[in-house]
Amino acid sequence: MFDYLQFVLAPQMVIGLSLGIAVVLVALGLTIIFGLLDVINMSHGEFYAVGAYLALSLGALGLNFWLLLVLVPALMIPIGFAVERGLIQRVFNSPDRHVSTLLLTFGLGIVLEDLLSLIYGPNTQRPPTPISGAVEIFGILLPTYRLFLIVIGLLIVVAVSLVVYRTRLGAMVRAAAYDRNMAASLGVPVKTVFAGAFAFGIALAGLAGVLLAPVYSVFPTMGRDFILLAFTVVIVGGMGSIIGAVVAGLGLTQIQAISSLYISPVWSDPIVFGILVVVLMLRPQGLFGKLGRA
Amino acid sequence: MHETLPLVAASSPPNRFDRLGLAMRASHVLAAIFVACCLLFAFLAWRADDVFYLRLATEALIFAGLALSVDILLGYTGLLSLGQALYFGLGAYTSAVVLRAGFSFAGTLMIVFVFSIIVSLVGGVIVNRVRGVYFALITFGMAQVVAKIVYNTRELGASDGLIGVPIVSIGFGFMTTSSASPVGFFLFTLVFIMLIYLVLAYLLNTPFGRVLIALKANERRVPFLGYRPFSARLAAYVVAGVTAALAGALYPMLRGFVSPELLSFTTSGNAVITVVTGGAGTVIGALYGSLLLTALRSFVGSWTAHHLIVIGLMFMAVVVLFPKGLVGFVRMRLQRFLERGQ
Repeated sequence: MFDYLQFVLAPQMVIGLSLGIAVVLVALGLTIIFGLLDVINMSHGEFYAVGAYLALSLGALGLNFWLLLVLVPALMIPIGFAVERGLIQRVFNSPDRHVSTLLLTFGLGIVLEDLLSLIYGPNTQRPPTPISGAVEIFGILLPTYRLFLIVIGLLIVVAVSLVVYRTRLGAMVRAAAYDRNMAASLGVPVKTVFAGAFAFGIALAGLAGVLLAPVYSVFPTMGRDFILLAFTVVIVGGMGSIIGAVVAGLGLTQIQAISSLYISPVWSDPIVFGILVVVLMLRPQGLFGKLGRA
Repeated sequence: MHETLPLVAASSPPNRFDRLGLAMRASHVLAAIFVACCLLFAFLAWRADDVFYLRLATEALIFAGLALSVDILLGYTGLLSLGQALYFGLGAYTSAVVLRAGFSFAGTLMIVFVFSIIVSLVGGVIVNRVRGVYFALITFGMAQVVAKIVYNTRELGASDGLIGVPIVSIGFGFMTTSSASPVGFFLFTLVFIMLIYLVLAYLLNTPFGRVLIALKANERRVPFLGYRPFSARLAAYVVAGVTAALAGALYPMLRGFVSPELLSFTTSGNAVITVVTGGAGTVIGALYGSLLLTALRSFVGSWTAHHLIVIGLMFMAVVVLFPKGLVGFVRMRLQRFLERGQ
């Protein structure tokens, strides 16, 4: 019994945890953008890919991985700002904001993905793993980089929620999400806050790209594989909820990891999407509340 | 959302058509032009002994059927479906399985028709519990579940799909054609899709269609007018599902195979791009959009593999600059012209 736990269940759960953290990182930006702007960013997966490719190019120039962790998100911020101001604001006040922003970002995603394969070619590339070696936890050998990923992922989640819930900036963001007109009349620069939050979400996607590139490889359609799971996480957790993204992200990947012990892993995708449909049917707002409401 | 649409026809008796009726007439004028262009193309291609472009155009018409089904939901009921490929794929797979079992053309269409009604009723009950952006996501999720199940089912060919769909002969009593004849099958598909267009245009112009438009404009008011939003939405969803499935049923006849790609998000997404580019809510826009996008893909694709950049940029430009789509833009002018003629 104990052997089963140690040698079968635990490794599966730890691997599931590192995938879960990766998904949470991608979902975090998605949920912030939805919570604040009510925009479903269909191009989020492509921004994740852009982050990974930026890391690849800059890494090839000889820049250190630790520098990239700061530099790539910093480069993504002006991109996100420009996209929000130049594209999303153009249809933001149309009567059907959800649909038109979804369509616009969907188009943007198509363009970005094809642009990446135009520049870098369709082949898979793999940047070197910045931390080599493996560590032993509870008798399981885990690559050190995966452990680093789990730790830094948790740190990022904590940092983001501290910024959103414990700082003046975060209060402004939550106020704008709750009631933009009231926030504007109290002197919150709502337009800048919106563009800034979008840019922040994009920067998080880019950061996830840098962190995950050594594990999951880099290819133009890399965003697609991840974004489906990330969307599911955001919906199940409650669109716009940070804690929801974390709980759903870790929970769903654990379900995937554990279920693959008993049934063929090819069924893990239908299970996850099945959960998505059931949650949407029974509790469309997700398990947790929206940003600014709680 | 805040447009005031006349929900009851004939507010002023001298006019035979109200604004919506006129818009539909403008669509019919564009449909006639569409058919004329298709016939001219078929004649030229037949004279030139072409196969490739005829097959491509037939495929464009089949995908136009899928786009039509998206338009019923998006353009009329105001629901964005990101999973309409589910019904298209359902039709294609059912048709492939049934044809391989040796059924005739008419029998195949009958089976697809009945089966798609059953499935879309079940699907409709599931997805109609939610509105707006959640509707887009639940349709997306449901299509993903089905696509993955098909992808994992060996009996349905798994990732390879089903190949070896036999050639069928299509008889009308007075004349017969075959799915292997490029011109014959193109003309048949044209008739088939135009029939679907006419049925939909008729349906959408009845009081039922007006209820759908009312749902799009203001869902809360609809029950106060004595209509049940749930039934109307369910009916629209079933009509859309059947439309997509019937169009999908032609696909294996054209290509001789079906693959899980038909059920994928790419297929659903392309249909949405087609409708939005053509013009949501114009019905005929779906047909023009499909031909335009197929032509773009084929011509841009002949000199670069990166045609998606062009299509994506064009799509974004349409969303920002022409929210009514290209045909919607033309139709508005045509409608004004018809108004003057009345």
